[in-house]
Amino acid sequence: MNGGDEQHERAIEPGFEFISPRFEEPKFPMHQVWGYAASLVLTFAALWMTVNRIMSPSVLLGVVLAMAVGQAALQLGVFMHVRESRGPAWHLVPLGLAFAIGIGLVGMSAWIMLFKSGVS
Amino acid sequence: MSSQALHGGHKTPPQELPPEFQDQEESIKITGFWMFIVTDVLIFASLFATYAVFVNRIASGPTPAQVFQLNTALIETLILLTSSFTIGIAIWAMRQNRQRMVTWWMVLTVLLGMAFVSIELTEFAGDVAAGWGWHTSAFLSAFFLLVAAHGTHVTMGIIWAVALLFQLRKRGLTTVTRRKLYTFSLYWHFLDIMWVFIFTVVYLGGRLI
Repeated sequence: MNGGDEQHERAIEPGFEFISPRFEEPKFPMHQVWGYAASLVLTFAALWMTVNRIMSPSVLLGVVLAMAVGQAALQLGVFMHVRESRGPAWHLVPLGLAFAIGIGLVGMSAWIMLFKSGVS
Repeated sequence: MSSQALHGGHKTPPQELPPEFQDQEESIKITGFWMFIVTDVLIFASLFATYAVFVNRIASGPTPAQVFQLNTALIETLILLTSSFTIGIAIWAMRQNRQRMVTWWMVLTVLLGMAFVSIELTEFAGDVAAGWGWHTSAFLSAFFLLVAAHGTHVTMGIIWAVALLFQLRKRGLTTVTRRKLYTFSLYWHFLDIMWVFIFTVVYLGGRLI
């Protein structure tokens, strides 16, 4: 049971500070309240912009997608405590890789469908 | 202590960690659950890619704008965002060792999850009744596959949460039940993230393409 403490004590190498663990346990869940409010604001803003078509559809799609990414970051940071870990938060590395592969997969699929010829 | 500087002052001694991280075995299970989320990100990415490819292949069926009702999607989004908040409060209460509070916020989360699934099933039933089943067009196949995959995840989450509530009642806030609540919260927030993308890509996107 104590074997892990040694690992926990190990210092994080320079350049790898992004995986250093972090815990926050405030007396009132202010972060959660703000996170919830921000996610509501982002949702209604995206909906309002879409219903009123405030810019050209393709640009608007990019904007609302960026807002969705913002909401995802909010959930990960505020609610999922993504930095919490016993030792270095190594799960951040595969998680980032999965998001990169996912964005590549979806983005390139959408991109290749823009070529109307030869694909049906 | 030279490592203190490298941690930017955030180094936490093991005895000050929350119980689910203090216990090495439970902490490994949390890391393992992150790996599950990694694989689920890839599954949803494949389904989103499928949807992006087929969204314009409507055959003789309806267009996305004809199928989707934004007010229903908005209600579903608000329910899921709220449930993400309630489970967040439950985890905060867990860290404060307030078991009754954890229970009630969990119950609220389960009820919101059930409301979400019922609205989604009503929406699906309405689509099918209108003759827009998943065999109508490639677009509708991809739509039902993506959105029902998410709905199935939520349904599984509800069953998981109910089981956890029974364990919580019987065993209290132990190291093991804390870890289970923690991984459940990760799962639930992850589903909320996937829904935000479904709302944006499928429902808002349906108005923009």
